Amino acid sequence: MEQTRAGEYDAFVAARWSVLFHLARLLTGGDRHRAEDLLQESLVKLWFVWPKVADEAPEAYVRKVLARAAARSARRRWWGERPVEQLPEVAAAGDMSATVAERSRLEAALAQLSPQQRAAVVLRYYQDLPDRQVAETLGCPVGTARSHAARGVARLRRLLADVIEPVG
Amino acid sequence: MDRFERQLTQLMQQDRQPAAFEIRHREALRAGVRARRRVRAARRAAGSVLAVAGLGLGLFLWPHGHTDDRPTAPNPRPAVSPTPTPAASPTRSPSQSPSLSPSAPPASSTATPSDSPTPGDTGAASEPPATTGTTATTSYRPPPATATARGGSTTAPATASVSAPAEPSDHPSSVVSPSG
Repeated sequence: MEQTRAGEYDAFVAARWSVLFHLARLLTGGDRHRAEDLLQESLVKLWFVWPKVADEAPEAYVRKVLARAAARSARRRWWGERPVEQLPEVAAAGDMSATVAERSRLEAALAQLSPQQRAAVVLRYYQDLPDRQVAETLGCPVGTARSHAARGVARLRRLLADVIEPVG
Repeated sequence: MDRFERQLTQLMQQDRQPAAFEIRHREALRAGVRARRRVRAARRAAGSVLAVAGLGLGLFLWPHGHTDDRPTAPNPRPAVSPTPTPAASPTRSPSQSPSLSPSAPPASSTATPSDSPTPGDTGAASEPPATTGTTATTSYRPPPATATARGGSTTAPATASVSAPAEPSDHPSSVVSPSG
């Protein structure tokens, strides 16, 4: 019984690790180590509820745990985020590493959002969840989730104005 | 969803890097599960210990019976405890009945002629009134009476007044003596 449970769990983790790690990385604003810790913590929690959620939606459970932990992280401890005037690593035009630079810009811009705004934006635009489901995942009212997402996008719009081309 | 939001969605999704589930990830996950299991067991054990301790404390503080809480009976008074020795009778009589008439003590003293007032008895007979009451003390202890009892010269007035003919009792008889 335990072996079967462990085998199913390992198979799920191995299959979904890349997707979940990317979600964790966006939720942490690009911090790779913190994303790993967050994902490990969420998957450990998944292990203890695996018999209950294995047949339903284990990925949704992990996503909920990840998003709530990331949104709570600012209240728990300081992760070393500092607001800056100029974003670092501005990509030069025609650079070979333009993709990497864009990724860095995106992660740096996400890191400047509040944890709640970041979680709402990631769930809304990366996971493509409707507002109601974003609110359910974060455990807050729909209006609050919508407000977090709108404010986060407004701030990203200012921060990424030169990366994402304005409407012509 | 405007153009910026669409581009933001596209940027987030194309940004994904392939990340493999490595051996170190598996080991870290196993270690995390074991640590969390230990924490759960420790928390459960601590909760059990606290519950048992609370239950034991509650049972310890629970009142067992109502009779134990009542005050005990008063201790017997030392005045009634001495054995009825002859020497105790003159000592006890003034303290127990301070309102008696002065003629009563001579009666008891006359019943035991052998208890003639020695110097020690005289002191014992004069002590109890001091602790029992002021009226008894003043009525029972006239120093001249003691002196006359020793001397024996005033025997005649004492016996005449108290009607205790045999003994030259020292104390009460002198109180009611006509000379006083």
